[in-house]
Amino acid sequence: MATFEGREDRGAGFLGARLGPALKSYGDQLIVLLVLFAIWQALSMWLGTYWIGSPWGVAKRFTQDVLDGELLRHASLTLTEAIVGFVIGALPAAALPFLLRRQPIITAILDPFMVGGYGAPKLALAPLFILWFGIGIESKVALVAITVFFIVYFSALAGIRALDAKLVQMAQVVGANERDVARHIVFPGAVPYIFTGFRIAMPYSIGGAVIAELISSNRGLGYLIQLSAMNFDTIGVFVALVATALIVFIGNLTVNVVERWLLRWRPPSDVMLQAAT
Amino acid sequence: MAAQPLLEILGLGKRFATRAGRDPSPWVIQDLSFSVRDGEFLTIIGPSGSGKTTLLNMIAQIDTASGGEIRFQSQAAPISDPKSLNPGLSCKIGYVTQEDNLLPWRTTLQNVLFPLVVQGRLNDETRAHAQMLIRAVGLAGFEDHYPHELSGGMRKRASLIRTLVYDPPVILMDEPFGALDAQTRMQLQEDLLRLWNIGRKTIIFVTHDIAEAIALGDRTLVLTRAPARIAGEHTISIPRPREIRGIMTHPAFAELYQRIRAEVQ
Amino acid sequence: MTSRDSALDLAEPTPVNWRRYAVIAGRIGLAILLILGWKFGAQVAGEVYVADPFLVFGRIVVDTLNGTLIHHTYVTLRLATIGFAIGCFFGVVFPFLLRRMPRLTAAIEPYIMASVGVPKYALVPLFILWFGIDDAPKLWLVGLLVFYPIFIAVFAGIRNVDRRLINMARVAGASEAAISREVIWNSLIPFFFAALKIALPRAVSATIIGEFLVGDAGLGFMIENSRQNFDTTGVFVGIVIATALVLVINAVLTLIDRRVNAWRPTERDMQL
Repeated sequence: MATFEGREDRGAGFLGARLGPALKSYGDQLIVLLVLFAIWQALSMWLGTYWIGSPWGVAKRFTQDVLDGELLRHASLTLTEAIVGFVIGALPAAALPFLLRRQPIITAILDPFMVGGYGAPKLALAPLFILWFGIGIESKVALVAITVFFIVYFSALAGIRALDAKLVQMAQVVGANERDVARHIVFPGAVPYIFTGFRIAMPYSIGGAVIAELISSNRGLGYLIQLSAMNFDTIGVFVALVATALIVFIGNLTVNVVERWLLRWRPPSDVMLQAAT
Repeated sequence: MAAQPLLEILGLGKRFATRAGRDPSPWVIQDLSFSVRDGEFLTIIGPSGSGKTTLLNMIAQIDTASGGEIRFQSQAAPISDPKSLNPGLSCKIGYVTQEDNLLPWRTTLQNVLFPLVVQGRLNDETRAHAQMLIRAVGLAGFEDHYPHELSGGMRKRASLIRTLVYDPPVILMDEPFGALDAQTRMQLQEDLLRLWNIGRKTIIFVTHDIAEAIALGDRTLVLTRAPARIAGEHTISIPRPREIRGIMTHPAFAELYQRIRAEVQ
Repeated sequence: MTSRDSALDLAEPTPVNWRRYAVIAGRIGLAILLILGWKFGAQVAGEVYVADPFLVFGRIVVDTLNGTLIHHTYVTLRLATIGFAIGCFFGVVFPFLLRRMPRLTAAIEPYIMASVGVPKYALVPLFILWFGIDDAPKLWLVGLLVFYPIFIAVFAGIRNVDRRLINMARVAGASEAAISREVIWNSLIPFFFAALKIALPRAVSATIIGEFLVGDAGLGFMIENSRQNFDTTGVFVGIVIATALVLVINAVLTLIDRRVNAWRPTERDMQL
């Protein structure tokens, strides 16, 4: 009897079919989150706070440190190192392929050096930079800058190379000169690629700053981690780690938001620009 | 007033670069000659792969020629040396290509205004003109949309008025309506004729569709397959203004169609 | 003038040759310039800041002959290899285990992705606290840094296979185990290899950086120890060797990649 009752049923069923799986997956994730916290709590109770601070203990200390400004002081230093280093590294790296656009020979000459620079372990230079610049922020900025440089260079290079010749021809026919082409065609076309480079380089910039601080510093989140560890203050270590992860998270968010706005012209499925990690 | 033809193609030839170690590549276009009068709507028919796009590329000075001459306003255009090419001949030749080539990062309005921006002619008057064209092809309301938000037909229309907006005296069109459905195509053909009527530009319109060539053109040239040369020339005696939708019922149409059809082999 | 008589006829002269030589010459020139710059830098900045290149290479020879360099390099490579093996093992095994439990996988996926955001190097002091000052904290570091790219790649590779696998199994109908083994394996290789190109060099550099923070041997220890003793030449020696090591590994992997995957049409120009 295909009556109204049947149709109402189907309506609810349809809605249920849409919401059901989504709710189930969010529900699952929530369950996992609770389980993780439960395990954390259990471990801290079983092993003792020397080994693992309890979630509650960490949360309490975290709030404490934020409120008395201590955490923010260190965090803002690390953030400053990361941002300044990022800017110093990323801007020339993005500009270089641009400037060398019409000199393919120079780009080719540079290529093995760039590949080498990209592949070489920049973090291994940390002691050298500390030797040169001391334990202040300069050495961290230098490390971040050189790490970011090579990442962004290759992304920008890919962006310049992905130039659509047909668009350039179109522009030339309507009267664009070299500068117009660079400004209206080459640059906007390269921006998505450059942004992918930014997205990849961002965690490296924060990580680089923290690592350099771990090795030698007297301020910053890395310093905080090292100091807490040396004082066997596990809760302090956790607090600093959480702060670091939070900064990376916010950094990711920022890059995503900016990218989404800057690249709102992009068609939804741009497969080639999905970074693997 | 039999003036000098605006555009003369004399013995034009094109073959692509021979790869080292291979036989010389065949001529795509060989010994092609025709002329175009000022204000004429010339259609060119040719089968796919007959070098139609290559021909237009050479006229627009995007591509070099391997032989022959192109004269614009009685002056020879430098088409043999890639470095001396002048794409668009300083904005005298507009080119509506097969792909719409809209800039993905610009909105519809920004795309249409683009030639004005690079030519330094953007002002209230030209902006109003652009808006008028946008309305004329039915894109009103989509000015702030990005190309990926437009349908194929809408992008085609945008690319069409992008060329019209800066009023080049000569306009080349490479199968602009080819990928569209019949309804949209007819609509755009009507729009094109209407706009052309206002300005009476010189148009060279390439297509593989015989009916379209007859409906739109004052004169039609038929190209052979590669190596392309003129197989035939037909004056379209159907008077203007023309009714696209009923064109096929015109007495002259059927005969023209048959004659041209025979040549397109 | 017809095109037949045209003297404009062309076969573009190949400019390729002189370009290629110019590039090679340029590269050699730039390399020489960099070394000269290094030497000049050493003169200007003084031996505390920039070690003289000849002294550096002299020290490399000496330390190789007397075995110290070999010892440190061995220590680093040994640890890197073990750490790599551990990380690689779990990175390969976990996706296969998770494959059978799609609901669990979906539930934990966001947390795995979130954990990528924690800089693993920042965990080293914690590892030292937990596991002592021997190899253990460094092994954990390397293991983790290797685990992530391998895990993500194998996971993606398996996911990539499963849909095709179903179709193939339906069509072929032969021993599903054998087909799935072959199809999965072949589909995994490019993902796995791409991750390998990241993970292997990373294993070595992670070991070195771990040695900055803990331990008493290895290239990283050598670099940091030299720094603390203001032995700039020693710092440079360590950096040169460490860099050369990683670059060689990169080059070898790239070579193997080209051979093994020559037939594949996929091209990745975005590298991590």
